[in-house]
Parts: sequence; C-alpha cells; structure tokens
Amino acid sequence: MHRIYLKKHTVANEGFLFKKQKSTRTMKNAINKVRNIGISAHIDSGKTTLTERILFFTKRIHAMHDVKGKDGVGATMDSMDLEKERGITIASAATYCEWLGHEINIIDTPGHVDFTIEVERSLRVLDGAILVLCAVGGVQSQSITVDQQMKRYKVPCIAFVNKCDRSGANPFRVIDQLQEKLGHNAVPLQIPIGLEAAHQGVVDLVSMKAIYFAGANGENVRIENIPQDLLREAIQKREELIDAGSMFSDELTEAVLEEQEITEEMIISAVRMGTLTRQITPVFMGSAYKNKGVQPLLDAVTKLLPCPYDVKNEALDMDNDETPVTLSGELEKPFVALAFKLEEGQYGQLTYIRVYQGSLSKGDTIVNSRNGKKIKVGRVVRMHADQMEDIETIPAGYIGALFGIDCASGDTFVSPGLNLTMTSMFVPDPVISLAIIPNDNKSQINMSKALNRFSKEDPTFRTYVDDETKETIIQGMGELHLEVYVERMHREYTADVTTGQPRVAYRETITRKAEFDYTHKKQTGGAGQYGRVAGYMEPVNGTKFVFENKIVGGNIPTQFIASCEKGFRQSIVKGPKMEFPVTGIKVVINDGASHPVDSSEMAFVAAARGAFREGYYKAGPVIHEPIMKVAVETPSEFQGAVMGLLNQRRGIIVGSQDEGPLCVVEAQVPLAEMFGFSTVLRSSTQGRAQFTMELNSYKQVPKSIAEELAKTAEKEKKGK
Amino acid sequence: MLKKELILKNPLRFIGKETQDILSEGGFGAVLARAGVGKTALLVQLALHTLLKGKYVLHISLDDPVNKISLWYKEVFRHLTQSYDAKNTNKLWEDLLPHRFIMTFKVEGFSVPKLEERLTDLKEQNIFSPQMVLIDGFHFNDTARTSLSDLKRLAKNHSLHVWFSVKTYRHEKSGPGGMPSSLLDVSDLFDIVIQLQPEGKKIHVMTLKGGPADSDRPALFLDPATMLVKDII
Repeated sequence: MHRIYLKKHTVANEGFLFKKQKSTRTMKNAINKVRNIGISAHIDSGKTTLTERILFFTKRIHAMHDVKGKDGVGATMDSMDLEKERGITIASAATYCEWLGHEINIIDTPGHVDFTIEVERSLRVLDGAILVLCAVGGVQSQSITVDQQMKRYKVPCIAFVNKCDRSGANPFRVIDQLQEKLGHNAVPLQIPIGLEAAHQGVVDLVSMKAIYFAGANGENVRIENIPQDLLREAIQKREELIDAGSMFSDELTEAVLEEQEITEEMIISAVRMGTLTRQITPVFMGSAYKNKGVQPLLDAVTKLLPCPYDVKNEALDMDNDETPVTLSGELEKPFVALAFKLEEGQYGQLTYIRVYQGSLSKGDTIVNSRNGKKIKVGRVVRMHADQMEDIETIPAGYIGALFGIDCASGDTFVSPGLNLTMTSMFVPDPVISLAIIPNDNKSQINMSKALNRFSKEDPTFRTYVDDETKETIIQGMGELHLEVYVERMHREYTADVTTGQPRVAYRETITRKAEFDYTHKKQTGGAGQYGRVAGYMEPVNGTKFVFENKIVGGNIPTQFIASCEKGFRQSIVKGPKMEFPVTGIKVVINDGASHPVDSSEMAFVAAARGAFREGYYKAGPVIHEPIMKVAVETPSEFQGAVMGLLNQRRGIIVGSQDEGPLCVVEAQVPLAEMFGFSTVLRSSTQGRAQFTMELNSYKQVPKSIAEELAKTAEKEKKGK
Repeated sequence: MLKKELILKNPLRFIGKETQDILSEGGFGAVLARAGVGKTALLVQLALHTLLKGKYVLHISLDDPVNKISLWYKEVFRHLTQSYDAKNTNKLWEDLLPHRFIMTFKVEGFSVPKLEERLTDLKEQNIFSPQMVLIDGFHFNDTARTSLSDLKRLAKNHSLHVWFSVKTYRHEKSGPGGMPSSLLDVSDLFDIVIQLQPEGKKIHVMTLKGGPADSDRPALFLDPATMLVKDII
C-alpha cells in the first residue's frame, strides 16, 4: 500500500495554523475510496453551515459555529473576516475529511455571481458535487448559473434540500423545480419526517427506515420503524425511486418484473449508475443548522458520487497538435496536475493542485507546461480551511497544495519530458474599474501589499497606476467584486482607502483604412532628431494590435523598425480620441526616411507616435463599450415591467423564455447602464426578480453617448 | 451596399413576388419537412430576408431555448454572408439584432391569448412591433384549427404575417396536391405551403400551394452543407 505520513503543526498569529503533533498518521490511498466534491449553491442556502456540520460529524472540528455566529468565531470554511460578517463565502477554501473509511476532499465554493471564476475553477477539478437548495426559496437564478457550470464540466451531483425546519419549507416543490427549471431527473431518496418547526428527521426510502438525530448536536443517529402516518407515502415514493433506478440496471428491472426481493444494493447501484451519467439527481433533505440529515448525506457522498477513477480526464498533447490524451490516473505513470487556485500567505504563495496522473512527492522536479520552467517541489501540504498538514506525497486523484511555487492559476504541472496541458480556462477581461486613494502613508504600504496578493489570487482582478493622475486603479468583473476587495483591504490589511466612482472600461478602435506619412524633425541646437514613417492602419478583428513591416530597400534602417513598433505600441495605450485603450488595429509601415546623423531610436519612436496620431483621426475612430449579457428571472406577471426596464437602459432584448410561472428575459445591455439595476429591479418586481450578468461583447457607443463622454473627458482635463 | 446585395441575390425572392413580401398582412405560410431536413434553417432564412429589409421579426419557438435559436441565426447569417464573400459583416449583424425578438414557450404553455398579451405589452411599451412572426414547433393536432383561426385574427389586427414549421412523418399519407394529412383540414388558412423534399443528396424546395405562377422560376434547393436556399446546385 502506498503510505503517506502526515504531520500537523500550529503557529499562532498566522494565516495558517501549524500545530506540532508528534504522532503521524497514515493516509489511505485506495483511490476508489476518495471523493473530490464541491458544495455549490445559491447564496444563503446554507452551504457553509452544511460544510461546517460535515466537518464536525467527520471529527475534523470539535465545535460548530454559525455563519453569522453570535460567538464571534464564524464557520470554519469562511476563513476571511468579511465572509463571516456578510455571511457569504468568497474564496474557495479546500479541506478534507473522512467518513466510513472514505476520504472526502471538499471545496467550498462562493455563491455570488461576481465570483463565478472561482466556482468554475473549483468545478473543473471536482469529480462530483452536492447541490444545496433552500427548502423555502427553491431553485433561484444563481442555482441555474451554478447548474449550467456543472453541466459544462459534466459534474455528477446529488441535491440536498436544506432548511426543512424553516417556515414555508416544501422539499417536494423544490424537487419539482429541479425537474422543471433545471431539467434534472430529480428523484427523492428520502422523505421528511415533519416540516417547519416539526421537522424531526427523514425516512430513508432505500432501507425503509426512519432516521432521527438525537443529542445536543444531532450526533446520535437513531434508526426506527417508519411512523404509520408516513408509511403509505414512503411506499409510493420508494416505488417511484425503483422505477427511476430500473432504467439504469437490468438486475433491478428483472427483480421488479419477476417480483423478487429488491435489495438495498440493487437500488443504490442503479441510482449510482444514473448519477454518474448525470441522468439522475438523487435528492436528500434535512436541516444543516438543526443538525438533521447530514450523516445520511455523507453516506450518499460515499455511495453515489464518483471516485477519481470513475471520471474520464483529458489533457491536450502540445507536441501533437493539441490532441486530447486520456489521463489514466495510475500512480506509476508520469505526473500531471492542474493548479486551480493560488493564495498568497505570509510565507509565500500557496498553490492548490489537483493531481490527475502519477504522484508528486517532496523533492520532486516538475515542469510548468505553460513556460517550460522546471520547479523543485519543497513542501507538499493538504488543507483544512486555514489550517494545513504537511504530507509527503499527493497521489493521482487527490487535491493538495504546494508552497513557494511561482505560477499562475490554471497552469499545468507535468513530469519532465511530458508536454501536456489541461484545457486552459477562459479568463475574461475586466469590465469595470475604480480609483482607490490611500488616506495615509501606512495605508499606502498596506494597500500595495493587499493588491499584490489579490491580483495573484484572482485572475479577473487587476490593478495599475494611472500615469497622469497617479491614482491606483483596480479592475474587476462587477460592482460587488470590487467592493469586496476594497473591504478586504480595509479589514485584512488595515488599509484605509477612499474610492472614486466606478468606471466602465471603454475602448477605442478605428472603422476604416487610413494612410499616414509623418516626418519628425527637430533641429534646435544640439543633436538633431529626424525620422519619417509612412504606411497605413486598418481595422482588424479579434486581436488588439498587429504591426507589420513592409519596408523595402532600407528606407527605414532595420535597427529602427523596433523603435517604430514601440512608438505605435505606446500610442495604443491611450487613444488620441478619448484616452481609452485602442484595440483592433493593424499598422503597416511601407516607407520612410532616415538621416545618417540625426536619426535615432528616440526620433523614430516620436515619428511613429506622430504617424499614429495623423492616421488615427482619418481612420474614423470610435468608442466601444462593454455590453453585458443580462438574464433576468422574473415571475411572468412582471415580464412586461422587466422588459421596460431593460429597454430604458439601451438594452436589446434578445428574447424571453417562458418557464411556467417564471420567465427569463435575456438582453444585451451596456454595462454603463447597469449601475444600480438591482435596486430598481427589486422595487419594480416586489423583490421577486433576480438577475445575472456576464460580458457579452464590445460594441460601438451611440453618437449621443459618445458626445457626452467627450464632454465629461473635457471637463476632467480642465479640472486636472 | 452589402444589405442590398444580399436582398437582391437571395434566391428566396423566387418564392414570393418580385420586390414584395412573400406573404401579405394576415397571411399564413408553412414550411413542411421531416425532422432534421431543414425547417428551422429555412424559417431563419425567411426571417433574415425580412430583417435585411429593415422589418421586425418575432421568432417563437416551442421546442428550443433562446440560445439555440440565436445560434441558428448566427450560423445562417454567417453562411449567407460567406457565400457572397461579404466583409465587415459585424456591423450589419449588429444592425439586424434589434429587429429580432425570440420568444420561447413550452408547447403546453403556448396559447394565442398569452401571445396576444405579450405582443400587446411589447407594442404598448414601444419595445418591439413585429411585421413577421415565425412559429416553430406548433402542434398541428385536432384542436389546431381553433388556435390557427385565433392567430389569423391576431395577425390581421396587428398587421403581420405568420410562418409555421410543420413536421411531417415518413408514414404519413399525403392528400391532394401532396398536402400532408396533418395540414389537410387547415390548408385553407394557408396562402403558401413549401415542402422540403430530400432526394438523394439534394433537398428540393417545392411549393405545394401559392407562390408565383410563372414557370420561368428556377428550381430551388437547400444546400445540405450550409442549409442555404440555392437556385443552382
């Protein structure tokens, strides 16, 4: 057996707790007893509480805290203060636990749409997931987004209908919604014993037993006969379950047809088959907060969700035209892993990896397939929220973390000699920016520390210093995205900052071909400057900037061509029209002139800049703005109102999708018009509509808006 | 320029009368074919032809989600512009987009009063006022006549014409004029009926009812590679 020895350390006042522990433990490496799962759901459906309970019952923690806890401790998985206070999960903390001899690696994923890159990265490395739904709220728009992401990465899932103790709880309505709204073949494996305040436990439809949860923390599971008043319903629901399961098992179908005894194993194996192919979504229920239904859910994770062997993972062979290669998951094979999350701690960068093939041990040399850099692995650890344990090896199928490795999120690590890459994950460009100004010197230092860390952790968060205003600008994917980072700066780094108005990331581009012929000449004492650059510029699709040199006969000496390109590149950083970055432009130089004495690199940089300005104004420059794909989910009676709101915001309504009592309106709306939309939407629909948005494309700003932008820019220039 | 060229060269003009719409206000048209032959592709071409003339099109689908319909339009538009070697098509596409509205219903959730309510809402708020409606996936069953008569009234009231896709089946017997049995009882409501008939590697675009009478009209085909209507193959 492959043996790995663990050490556990604790050091106070650190992001991570190192606890020296003399004893070592053996990590079992039976791959079919490993589960890499995510817990995904709509915000506030209780997934962090559920994770907390799972960690308690698997004895990873010894006390439970609530998300919005009065005890001031907060749930273990919400390791950032801000998450604890807002009751939301931002960064996916990875942790592992053990249940019935199985090792479960859990990634706690954020629920808000602005952090979906985190969710997507998590889903990429998971083999299965628990979809947590609220028994009162049901399937909400964020559940739809998360579900689509799960579909994209083909993650099999089981559903947990939480909050059955709340007033208005109705798990069967949620099951109906799972079927109607998400198109899942949702099949309950339990029915509740009492709902709302009377919720006591669940009836297991496989074993046909009632399960109660006694003790202060529900740790004593009591199994009894099904109460008489629930027996009929249980028999009926069991039949439905067997019906659904028989689609996936000949053995079960045969047993049904021949009226033989139907064993628990038969049902479980059939449901598992359906779950792995995403054709059945088994539904469990309970109340994590009241400690009901968590242990049976853990049983289900071990019995129904896939082990790493059940899932086919592919990498792309870079030496062979990116042909997909199936990764075997065998330990003896060369090592392949994906870095899916980075975190900056005080001792350096922590890189979370998922190993797909081979194994990684301390002291191994691996290669980052993106840049070919060789890396010597120092420390190998495994995470439990903000605590960590040193381990010797991470075998295939496991999630672990490395220390002090310089890489980016989404990089692939391989054994030397291999040239494979896991499918690269798409990272969208930021669409919104915000100026932040530190209020004192200390804040200035802390702010840069914070920004350095955030931008490494999150590829959609970027930062730069504006050359003219000297202001620090942060960029991201939405208002809330930036808001959370500003608050984190304040809390985690005590950086006191003032923020400006959020700004849309406009761009400039040209609409037609135009020629330029510019001579830069300066002969006022000292060494002169001379350079002539001629050619043309034209629009180009799908790329920011293309430079082409068509000079023949050395009209511009070869050594100055790079200076010309430099001059053009400098010019596109801030467009001459409105000072927005220029994109989609191709510059071709085909003529020029030089002077044997006065021509220099500097002269040609200046000539290229002049040439750019000259050609740019003739090339019909326009402003482009980010257009968001907005999906509003609303009760049908507000459909008209919602369309009206979108229409007022310069939105193009692409369509409306009728889904029974609800409907989804899809539109393309300029981001500039979306500020404060959530408030307006709430007040127009009695708070019953929700929306998600993501970047769709960049489009030309209408003339009237462009004029307004020009006026604002003019005013700002005067103000400087 | 590109727009004009696309309209003028489009072989769909042979289906209708020169320079006019194929259907007049309140008119009904049907595209018949077996599953997978190209009904939606032809409907989308009819829609694009109308969109290029600057008119407004409401596409109602009872089978597919909004995204899938959008994709159909993108693909057909791409093939269409590629077949004429058109450049700078992005701008044209962006110009067409606000003229198109996709509405999807579940088959059982679709009713004429519901459609009328939605349509009135869109018109009253000045959001969208279509001149052409496409209904893809309508069930031509025993009760269809009532719904179709209501739709006819709605089409007249709102000054628009409607195109339907009609799924035919291999085992289905055809009535007089090659009309499939599902359409026989309601064929009087239709001004034009087009059938897509696969024959070997060709898909013939045949007019079963309506259309220009002159025999000079070239034979039309659906190119199986691009799903575009062609007059020469």
